[in-house]
Amino acid sequence: MHRRAFLKTGAAAGLSVSVTGCLDVGPLSSSPGATDDVVLEKPERYGDLRSARDEGALEYPIHADPLPEATVPAPLHDRELTTTEFVGDRHVLMTFIFTRCPNACQLLTNALRHVQDESVGDGFADDVAFMPVTFDPEHDTADKLRAHGERHGVIREPGHWYYLRPDGPERADEVVNGQFGIGFEHLSPEEREERELGENMFFQHISAILLANKDGYVERLYTGQEASPVTLVDGVETLRERW
Amino acid sequence: MRRRELLAGVGALGALGVGGAVAFTDLSLTDRGGVEGVEPVEIQRFEARGSPQGTEMVPEPGRVTFVEMFATWCGICQRNMPELVEAAEAVDDDVQFLSVTNEPVGQTVQPADVVEWFESRGGNWHLAVDDELELSRRVDATGVPTHLVFDAENRITWEKTGFTESDTIVERVQSA
Repeated sequence: MHRRAFLKTGAAAGLSVSVTGCLDVGPLSSSPGATDDVVLEKPERYGDLRSARDEGALEYPIHADPLPEATVPAPLHDRELTTTEFVGDRHVLMTFIFTRCPNACQLLTNALRHVQDESVGDGFADDVAFMPVTFDPEHDTADKLRAHGERHGVIREPGHWYYLRPDGPERADEVVNGQFGIGFEHLSPEEREERELGENMFFQHISAILLANKDGYVERLYTGQEASPVTLVDGVETLRERW
Repeated sequence: MRRRELLAGVGALGALGVGGAVAFTDLSLTDRGGVEGVEPVEIQRFEARGSPQGTEMVPEPGRVTFVEMFATWCGICQRNMPELVEAAEAVDDDVQFLSVTNEPVGQTVQPADVVEWFESRGGNWHLAVDDELELSRRVDATGVPTHLVFDAENRITWEKTGFTESDTIVERVQSA
C-alpha cells in the first residue's frame, strides 16, 4: 500500500488538485478511518453501524469491511468478472439497479456517471472501475444494459464501466441480497398497489452505492440521500488524494 | 433544432471545479444559505431558444429565482416540461427562470443533445449546466427534477423534488 500523507484539512484537499504529489505534511499514522485499511473518515454513527454488523442486523458491508467477492457475467465485455479482481489496481464503485426503474436507480447511475466523467476529464480513468449490477437479469439483457448506458451517456472507450448481470433471478438473489446484502424484493402488481408504488416499481430495493479502495476494503456504503453525485464525487476525490 | 457549440465555457467550468472544492469546505451540505441566503454561483448558459449564450449568477440577488434541476435521461423531467412551459409564460418577466441540467455534459452527452431535449419540449427560457455540481452543492439538491424558488435575498422559500404542476410553481414564485 502506498498512501500519501494526509492533508490537514478538507480545505487544503481542494487545493491539492493543482499541486498533486508534493504534499508530505502531517503524520502518516493519523488515519481518520476506523482501521488502517481505509482512508476516509469513519461515517457518522459508525459505532452503531459496526455493532449492527457484528450482531448480523446489518447485511450490507460498511466502512472497513472487505469488498464481497462474487463472479458474475459482464455481458457487454463478453466475459465473467470477479468483483475483487481489481484489488491492487483500481478503486471500485458499485451500485445495484434495474433498468426499468423510474427514478432511484437512475439517480444512482447518474452519480456513478459523474465520477466517470471526472475520471476521464482528470486522467484517472485507469484508477477506477464501475460495476452497476442488475438484479433484474430476466429483463436486463445485454441490449437493455447497452441502451441504459447510452441513455446515461456512459463513456465506453475506457472500458472500465462493467454492467454485471447475474445469471438468472436466483443468482441475482444470491449475489445482491446474499453476498452484498443489498436488499431487494420483486413485487407483484398487487403488492405494488398495496404499497402505493408506481406501476413501474417492479422491485423494492435499497438505494446504495459502494465505494471500495484499491486494497479491496469498503470505504463507504452510501445509501438514500447520501448516494448522490456530490457526495460520491467528493468521496472519490478524498480517497484519491489520501491514497 | 439548432446545433451550436457550447463556447469556451466548458474549459472555464473545469477550472471552476478546483475553486469550488475549496469554497465547498466552508459550506456544510446541509447549510442551504439560512438567513443569509444562498451564495450565488456563476453558471454557463447554453445557447437555445429563449437562452442567449453567456453566464449568469444563480440565484441572482435582488430578484426572485425559479430553478429546475433536471437531466435529459430523467423521465419525470420530460413529463414535467409542459408544466414548466405554462409556468414560464405565467410568471412575471422580472423573475429569473431557468432550467439547469446537473448531468456531466461534454463527453457523450453533448450541449447539442441538451438543447435539442429542451427545445423539442417547448423550452423557451434560460437553459444552463451545473456539470461541476456547484449549484447542486449549495442547494443540496440530490434528485431530479428538483424545483426551487429563492426570494430576492437568495433564501430558498420553496423546494420540491418530483413532478410539479405549473399552478404550484406560479403560486410559489408569486409568494416568494
